[in-house]
Amino acid sequence: MASKFWTQGGSDTEEEETDIEDEIENGGAGETTAAAAGSRYLQTNASDSDDSDGQKRVVRSAKDKRFEEMASTVDQMKNAMKINDWVSLQESFDKINKQLEKVMRVTESDRVPNLYIKCLVMLEDFLAEALANKEAKKKMSSSNHKALNAMKQKLKKNNKQYEELINKYRENPESEEEKFEDEDEDEDEDESGSELEDPSQIAAESSDEDDEGEDVDDDDADGAWEKKLSKKEKLMDREFKKDPSEITWDTVNKKFKEVVAARGRKGTGKFEQVEQLTFLTKVAKTPAQKLEILFSVISAQFDVNPGLSGHMPINVWKKCVQNMLVILDILVQYPNIVVDDMVEPDENETQKGADYDGTIRVWGNLVAFLERIDNEFFKSLQCIDPHTREYVERLRDEPLFLVLAQNVQEYLERIGDLKSAAKVALRRVELVYYKPQEVYDAMRQLAVLSEDGEKDGDETKVEETRGTSAFVVTPELVSRKLTFPENSRALMDILVTLIYKSGDERTKARAMLCDIYHHALFDEFSIARDLLLMSHLQDTIQHMDVSTQILFNRAMAQVGLCAFRVGLIAEGHGCLSELYSGGRVKELLAQGVSQSRYHEKTPEQERLERRRQMPYHMHINLELLEAVHLICAMLLEVPNMAANSLDAKRKVISKTFRRLLEVSERQPFTGPPENVRDHVMAATRALCKGDFQKAFDVINSLDVWKLLRNRESVLEMLKAKIKEEALRTYLFTYCFSYDTLGLDQLTKMFDLSDAQIHSIVSKMLVNEELHASWDQPTRCIIFHDVEYSRLQALAFQLTEKLSILAESNERAVEARFGGGGLDLPLRRRDNQEYAAGTAGGGGGRWPDLSYNQGRQGSSGRAAYTGGGRPLALGQASRDRSSQSRGTGGYSGRAGSGMRGYQMDASARMVSLSRGVRG
Amino acid sequence: MATYDLTPRIGPNLDRHLVFPLLEFLQERQLYPDEQILKAKIELLNKTNMVDYAMDIHKSLYHTDDVPQDMVERRVEVVARLKALEDAAAPLVTFLQNPNAVQELRADKQYNLQMLNDRYQIGPDQIEALYQYAKFQFECGNYSGAADYLYQYRALCTNSERSLSALWGKLAAEILMQNWDTALEELNRLKEIIDSKSFSSPLNQVQSRIWLMHWSLFIFFNHDNGRTQIIDLFNQDKYLNAIQTSAPHLLRYLATAFIVNKRRRPQFKEFIKVIQQDQCSYKDPITEFLACVYVNYEFDGAQKKMKECEEVILNDPFLGKRVEEGNFSTVPLKDEFLENARLFIFETYCRIHQRIDMGVLFEKLNLNYEEGERWIVNLIRNSKLDAKIDSKTGTVIMEPNQPNVYEQLIDHTKALQGRTYKLVGQLLEHAQAQPAR
Repeated sequence: MASKFWTQGGSDTEEEETDIEDEIENGGAGETTAAAAGSRYLQTNASDSDDSDGQKRVVRSAKDKRFEEMASTVDQMKNAMKINDWVSLQESFDKINKQLEKVMRVTESDRVPNLYIKCLVMLEDFLAEALANKEAKKKMSSSNHKALNAMKQKLKKNNKQYEELINKYRENPESEEEKFEDEDEDEDEDESGSELEDPSQIAAESSDEDDEGEDVDDDDADGAWEKKLSKKEKLMDREFKKDPSEITWDTVNKKFKEVVAARGRKGTGKFEQVEQLTFLTKVAKTPAQKLEILFSVISAQFDVNPGLSGHMPINVWKKCVQNMLVILDILVQYPNIVVDDMVEPDENETQKGADYDGTIRVWGNLVAFLERIDNEFFKSLQCIDPHTREYVERLRDEPLFLVLAQNVQEYLERIGDLKSAAKVALRRVELVYYKPQEVYDAMRQLAVLSEDGEKDGDETKVEETRGTSAFVVTPELVSRKLTFPENSRALMDILVTLIYKSGDERTKARAMLCDIYHHALFDEFSIARDLLLMSHLQDTIQHMDVSTQILFNRAMAQVGLCAFRVGLIAEGHGCLSELYSGGRVKELLAQGVSQSRYHEKTPEQERLERRRQMPYHMHINLELLEAVHLICAMLLEVPNMAANSLDAKRKVISKTFRRLLEVSERQPFTGPPENVRDHVMAATRALCKGDFQKAFDVINSLDVWKLLRNRESVLEMLKAKIKEEALRTYLFTYCFSYDTLGLDQLTKMFDLSDAQIHSIVSKMLVNEELHASWDQPTRCIIFHDVEYSRLQALAFQLTEKLSILAESNERAVEARFGGGGLDLPLRRRDNQEYAAGTAGGGGGRWPDLSYNQGRQGSSGRAAYTGGGRPLALGQASRDRSSQSRGTGGYSGRAGSGMRGYQMDASARMVSLSRGVRG
Repeated sequence: MATYDLTPRIGPNLDRHLVFPLLEFLQERQLYPDEQILKAKIELLNKTNMVDYAMDIHKSLYHTDDVPQDMVERRVEVVARLKALEDAAAPLVTFLQNPNAVQELRADKQYNLQMLNDRYQIGPDQIEALYQYAKFQFECGNYSGAADYLYQYRALCTNSERSLSALWGKLAAEILMQNWDTALEELNRLKEIIDSKSFSSPLNQVQSRIWLMHWSLFIFFNHDNGRTQIIDLFNQDKYLNAIQTSAPHLLRYLATAFIVNKRRRPQFKEFIKVIQQDQCSYKDPITEFLACVYVNYEFDGAQKKMKECEEVILNDPFLGKRVEEGNFSTVPLKDEFLENARLFIFETYCRIHQRIDMGVLFEKLNLNYEEGERWIVNLIRNSKLDAKIDSKTGTVIMEPNQPNVYEQLIDHTKALQGRTYKLVGQLLEHAQAQPAR
């Protein structure tokens, strides 16, 4: 039955090709089977790829083991098939599904192993056979029959997931296996042995493809590519070679239709199709036709991509970009050609020649293609191991894409399609926004360098076109050169302005976030903050898609870092604390998958999550982020703890920090600090005692500081802050033990100037944190004893409890009747006003920078600065949850706590931006 | 000294004609070379129709009697155009100058238009011509004429856009004629329109607010009651927002107004926060002074800033308005500002001290000893200050101001009653609504 299955896959053409293949192989040096495993196109230079194969075949043992397990299950299944035992078949099927999950996790790829697909196909066929064979069905035992039916259902359900892969597999089972099948026909048992090689072959295959592709590229340049054409293409070639004058629009069109019709059909090789179409572009009669064919070429090139999760081969990607540039050349050369994907153009629209005056409509969508190319680029960076040369090489392709995007954008602007231009601009923004000036400069230099290199390439290419005598020669009108402003800020400004003017909501939101990120990167805290507040993104972000939410989180993290760098500790803490409140920073920033102890993710979820990951070069350094967060928390929390040492529960600024501190205090012995957390805890211990020098030294010894550009000044700022907080802590802690305290003594102790100490202490006095006053002639602080008698203290407690009671009553009534009517105490009214404002403004058109919502904006601002506790960036909304926003549209939020980790990141993001306190 | 000059930042938000007084002021203060200012004036006049004036300035700038040809040509052109417009608007103007005819007009706009059209053959074209004529008059520097025509135009005009720009024109004309009371009325009218009107883009609205605030500076610092009103206007959320986003330099005027106005304490606290927040986008000695006293508690710094403030005030066209009294002129705002600023410092200083050496204190306040002592005695006598002077040691001793425990308790519980009443009220209301449903 295996043979039946194998032959099913191969169509006539394929057999033909395998023949050729064999021929060539015979001609070539002795081949390893693995080399042949590559797709049909690499046969000519299989010997080249040998080396790389050798490298790639090293497979990790864990992986091997999983595959072995899987293979043995397949064996079992085969045996079960032989005896028509559906019960055990069903068991094995369940088993293999479980194994699949393991294998996927081990290989860390989204690609389903071929072995599994093969097994599915096999099962499907066998099932079909069994169902068709009515007689045998009748003979089956009842349990067997039941299992058969169950299997039918299961398989149907299961296979739907892998439909694409199965189809693909059916179209072209690997040639290697075809060969096997000849030998193995009689000895099925042997196959398991051969299967074992599979994973290595898969790895080899992908690398082969790359190598081969590059080779093709080279050969292309030599103009020798015709040699490699398959028989069929040679035929076609001949057909057209006969006499150039005989080729008419009709013949080309016919051929084109034929090729396009074959797309996606069984047995149509994808590379082959690309080649054919590429050839056709050279014989196209009119520019419009050439354009039409080029669009198909690009579509076909996209088809080459093996699956949703894998990325497009890099060489194909490059060719794709080149093709896009040619398209632009044509469009620039013939401004009367219009690209449109809305209307179905006439059958013979493209017949109109270059001299035709009216507009010619050609089907196509430049923006969609461009976005797809960008996505492929992104995906490839996700997949490639960031620690390899390959990754760096891949990054070098970025200018190539930027050139294309720039040209497409220029073209779209010229034809007045600003909306699409904004989309393209966003793509450019997203490639630039995370780059600090140094990286940006490096990219500019690279662009200049590669431009020189490219010039040579271009020349040869022109020659090549001449060699094959294209009918429609397209001069390179569109510049292949990248024009960059000196300053990345300037570039951002240009692009972002365009987007704000004409982009749609999502585009604008994303551009705004990128803009905020970029400002933050350049230490422009106030601008970033204003943009963030004025755009009201914090309120609307949970209604947006996951990737935008990730971007929002990234921007928040960066704004937090920026606030820290410019010395705004409270603001920095406000930005970062929510990121850290759930302990899932990695996930929230899409910089890695954190394993949850309580909940196993389904492979589906994992795959989704992996697809969202940021490429390595865009990461925000997590250690630095953690250090900044904890230091901010420390600077705020230590004096706070000292001030409220009697009732520690009362005012907690950072829960995360408190928890960490508790843990570290519980340890019987404290060793020297190792990680970031240990360092900060050690510093905290020193700071609690008022020992600022030790605290600073410990923090200074962290090595994440080398990641900061203006390291010296930041550390200096940090030292000043630590001194200040140490002084405050000291005063809070020991104010009970002193009657007076001399200014001079404090200056000596904390190494601060008179004026500084005076200013800090005065601030504490005015805010009534410290019950004392200055005695100017003696330069002393005189502490007042504010001691209450027992009765008085109890009376205070009583009043406090009363007001809590009243408050909870109000809350109860509010929750019942949907609030609003009550005149709340002043402290809360502020927040409510803000809440009301933002709730109203949430749906507004934010990119107008909310000038229309002056009121909301301002109360937002007021909230931002107002209040005793730092209400930084969106924290203002925290109290809201307790006030039952009832009627508002936030009902979704209420559930977020309960649904917990069951949800995907989108819901988590919600809890992030909303604050989790109930 | 020119560092704190705001003219370049204020100028773009004003009408051309309104910039003139500012330039005059600068010329008087001699902050810039005369030549520059004269050139700026010519530049300014080039786009207006005050060609004669431009010629005069040109003569005085280059000390010649010749004027450039283009100016002469322009003069001819302007005169011709004036003639044409006058003719076009003539029917309506004659009608309006006839008191008997004007009495026929009623409050109803539609009726008026109809009546004009029927009986005097004055249609929309003539009305439009009146607007153009008024505008031209304004450009020529005939502000009173322009103001009259615009007033009448507004009574007849139906187009709200046009009416709005006529109102702007009227405001400018009144400001230039220094009719502060009328100008204030116009200002309030304009403000209402801006706040109520739905603008096509919010950006326009903000821009209008910014303009309004700039123009209002003329009025507020000349009108008697202006200093309270400037706070009323600028400190509104919408306007404060506009200031923060687009014109932070206006904070100077708001800050000054707050300092010279003693009775604005609750808003003042909020304003300090704004100052603190916007320090990165704008600062000058006046805002820095506030930051020193209320944010950083640096009294030495505050004292330094106070001296700088004096300069700033003298050189600011709005703040440094002079009042001629006999032979010598004073700047009333300056004295008031300094007095109040001193009080601010002292007040804050007292709050955090128990004993203050008077010598040091007076030094901080820029006062000599006798003057200072008198000042403090006055404060104590007016029971503004709860303190005693110990003249032997030369110190002021603050009375310890311990919050009374019982007062605190009462404070805490006072509100509870009201809240409970409200709660009960709400409950009852709901309970009554329930059966009704």
